[in-house]
Amino acid sequence: MQVKGSKEIRAGVLDSGLCTGCGACVSLCPYYATHKGKTVMHFSCTRDEGRCHAHCPRAEVNLDMLSSVIFGEEYSAEPFGSYISIYTARAGDKAGLSSFQTAGTVSALMKFSMEKGYIDSAVLTKNDNGFGVPVIVNDPSGIEKASGSRYSVSPSVKGVNEAINSGRKKIGTVSTPCQTLAIAQMRGNPVKQENFIDPIALSVGLFCTWALRASDFTDLLKSMGDVSTIRKLDIPPPPSSVMEIETGNKSYIIPLEEIRKLVPEACSYCHDMTAEFADISVGVFEGRNKQNIAIIRTERGRKIFDEAVNAGYLIREEISSKDIAPLAAASINKKKKGLAKLADAELVNSEGKDAVIRIKKSTLESIFKGGALCC
Amino acid sequence: MLLSKSEGKEFLLMGNQAIARGALEAGVSVAAGYPGTPSSEIIENLAAVAPDADLYVEWSVNEKVSLEVAAAGSFAGLRSLCVMKQNGVNVASDFLLHLVLSGTRGGMVLIPCDDPGAISSVNEGESRYFARLMEIPLLEPGDFQEAKDMTKWAFELSEEISNVVMLRSVTRLSHASGNVKLGELNRAKPSAKFNFSGNLLDAKTGPVITAPVPFRHTQQQAKLKKAIDLFERSPFNRYEGPENPELLIITSSACYLYSREALRVLDAEKRAGILKLGTTWPLPPELLKKHLAAADKILIVEEVLPFLEENIKILAMENIDSIGKIKFFGKNNGTIPSVNEMNPDHVIKAVSSILNIPYTGMPEEYEKSGQILSFTKSPNRELTFCPGCPHRASYWSINRALTLNGKNGFVCGDIGCYTMAILPAGFGTIKTAHSMGSGTGVASGFGKLKSFGLNQPVVSVCGDSTFFHAGMPALVNAVHNGSDMLLVILDNSGTAMTGFQPHPGIPSDAAGNKLPSVDIESVCRSIGAKTFTTDPFNISETEKKVLDIIENETGARVLIMRQGCALSPEKKGKKKYNVSVDSNICKGTDCGCNRLCTRVFRCPGLVWNSSTGKAVIDEIICAGCGVCADICPSGAIKRSEVMS
Repeated sequence: MQVKGSKEIRAGVLDSGLCTGCGACVSLCPYYATHKGKTVMHFSCTRDEGRCHAHCPRAEVNLDMLSSVIFGEEYSAEPFGSYISIYTARAGDKAGLSSFQTAGTVSALMKFSMEKGYIDSAVLTKNDNGFGVPVIVNDPSGIEKASGSRYSVSPSVKGVNEAINSGRKKIGTVSTPCQTLAIAQMRGNPVKQENFIDPIALSVGLFCTWALRASDFTDLLKSMGDVSTIRKLDIPPPPSSVMEIETGNKSYIIPLEEIRKLVPEACSYCHDMTAEFADISVGVFEGRNKQNIAIIRTERGRKIFDEAVNAGYLIREEISSKDIAPLAAASINKKKKGLAKLADAELVNSEGKDAVIRIKKSTLESIFKGGALCC
Repeated sequence: MLLSKSEGKEFLLMGNQAIARGALEAGVSVAAGYPGTPSSEIIENLAAVAPDADLYVEWSVNEKVSLEVAAAGSFAGLRSLCVMKQNGVNVASDFLLHLVLSGTRGGMVLIPCDDPGAISSVNEGESRYFARLMEIPLLEPGDFQEAKDMTKWAFELSEEISNVVMLRSVTRLSHASGNVKLGELNRAKPSAKFNFSGNLLDAKTGPVITAPVPFRHTQQQAKLKKAIDLFERSPFNRYEGPENPELLIITSSACYLYSREALRVLDAEKRAGILKLGTTWPLPPELLKKHLAAADKILIVEEVLPFLEENIKILAMENIDSIGKIKFFGKNNGTIPSVNEMNPDHVIKAVSSILNIPYTGMPEEYEKSGQILSFTKSPNRELTFCPGCPHRASYWSINRALTLNGKNGFVCGDIGCYTMAILPAGFGTIKTAHSMGSGTGVASGFGKLKSFGLNQPVVSVCGDSTFFHAGMPALVNAVHNGSDMLLVILDNSGTAMTGFQPHPGIPSDAAGNKLPSVDIESVCRSIGAKTFTTDPFNISETEKKVLDIIENETGARVLIMRQGCALSPEKKGKKKYNVSVDSNICKGTDCGCNRLCTRVFRCPGLVWNSSTGKAVIDEIICAGCGVCADICPSGAIKRSEVMS
């Protein structure tokens, strides 16, 4: 991959509506900052090469190179990317979780990993006055407090950078696909720092179809009352097509078409639904609101997952190919749509200018050919 | 020395000192002004001798009020002086328009000091046109002796015609120095009394008013005719050169010296003559007619606008029968540049082309390569804030807050050192800059454009002195009209840019005597603006406050950023912190810093050592404010409190 600098980030990402607000460039240097879910740049940096560009999920991402760093193989055209196995999963009693949004898989995994010492800290996302902000949790009891879906764009990778800055060497992360992509790029040491050791011990990815513009979404929530009293934000699986909000002693139902107006343009370029560069990816199992789907992608992910199951923190079940078909269809659909939109904007394998994505031509062709644009 | 009794002895005086001495020789009793380069030293010098010379000297809240204060002295029979920079006349002009109609009693002189080339200004204003517009006499000293002598005479002229006299100086006269032979000091202390019980139409004893206007206007024009008679015989207008010159240069002010130099350099003193005018409005027609008739080619040398040129051309046209055909050279035909300062080179170029005298000053190639070299090779020493200046810290926080907010907010600037925030010194934060107080007025307007879709946060900045000068009415306007804007008052506790003159917020007068001060915060609150304060040296709190006020408050609000100027007498030479850079921690140009302190923050007290690749503190000039320690992303800049 070609590492450039902040000039390219400002012009090609921030000012082009491609920034996902993942926070990958924040807390690396004094020039980037995030406020209310938006990444901004203070003053200007004149360096030709920087970690901002190297880590950004929207600047010169070479999927094949990245895939070989994380999985030791070329980028796969499969709907879920590279993986070892897929299960249904939910928290077991041993996890000791008192409440969770769907099935508690992510909280249980993080809690188990920290208690067993696989991770020394977990970078999660908490609610700060209606905005999602990263929080570094160093104690298993703190994990549950940061559980639950956020929906709005949050700069979680900023928290990963801060955990690294503070000397953490075994970090557990929970991140959306764009954030996971940024973390994976960082793990490949693209700027070739001396004595680099991958500080991420467990990367848990979250399925994501889109996020919401934080500022606008918070304004919407604020119009319903005190955002600090929001108990639940949920989008039940189809065919319900609404968002449910519980705040104070009231609950609201908002049609999804209203919510979709708050999706940033940047999300429409996204080609990754299942956080393909994580160790384990977790998301909703459509139609089963007490179960998650867990995609085990790496050997270390498999090891922790199996141990958590054996220790009773997680309960897993086999899943049939018929049951994962809707997710596969949605995933390939998003991949095709995102890549097609990027290709239309000449941002895939671009020649003579910066690309957002670089990918082997034959892989790209088989993605466009495979599956149906349906569902 | 200003009060020296050594009459007839020569002293080296700065032009502004010469003017002050002239006023003292005239027996001035009241002097008022508003600070502004290049005029400030006149009031400052008078203030320094005020207790010994029985003067009342005042730094007024603005130029209009200073003219009113000086006028009161005149109405009470005292000789009074009013001093300001060129654009101050615009501020004072409304009162001036009425003052010239009511007339004056004690001699009253208005001294604007113009700044051709805008060396210390954001305009190239011309005060001379006001003399014509207001129909009052205009005097322009041509050297330092004249600066003193003409000032003294201006008071006599004012009393002779019972009206204000304008004496115009320029930067190169006000701020350069030359020999001046002193005259006798007038040490009589006149008593003041305002008479008003006479006839309504009696300008000497009745009320001082402008009505009935046609009557007073007729009187005023008659006064001006009287001035013409005096100008015809004035020793301040003189001719030097051959009887029938090939070329006649007509000039005034500092341009007289440039013209003399040009003729000497070209060895053209036998071919060209110089008519140096000291009384430039109204022109003395007989004197002009005599000299215009003696030459066929006329070159008019003056600074900024073609004021003399236009007036002379009108006079020549009116008298074409006796003068005959003349070829004029000047600004209108491009012989003399129509903007910027004049200098001997411009005059040499003009004269050599008119008289066909070959002249190569600096070879063109040499000049060009000099320009290129100075641009490419010399260190970039742009205008910037001093080490320890609170403005740098203030703009750091304002700029960052506007960036974080992310809605294209902008700052309407105002007049002071802090205007430099149009430059990298203030991170280019200012996006409009005009006249005193106008930033807040413009912001008041921007803050009403929401209904047309303007959703950008609107911020104005204004200094403490500027706030009193013209910012207050703009804030009243913003509050009253419900404008959505934030006024940031950069309160560094003094009129810092012009040399630390006091203003109404400072508890002392021009001479250092104690006075009650006016509290800015209370003023803003009583106007009805939601008012906050912060210490700009606390950059994280200041950034948070700006952002919070922009995002969570509406209407006209005020944030006072209070921290004294680093050059203020209270702070100068006293460090709060010892500051140093730990070179083991400093990241230099590495990713993660890239010289934030020396490349972006750019306090002159921070120096980039290119051989070690680290930042260092220049301990000689570091003012010890300690702000850079908070800027450094790596914590490499250390500060420790200085034990007193």
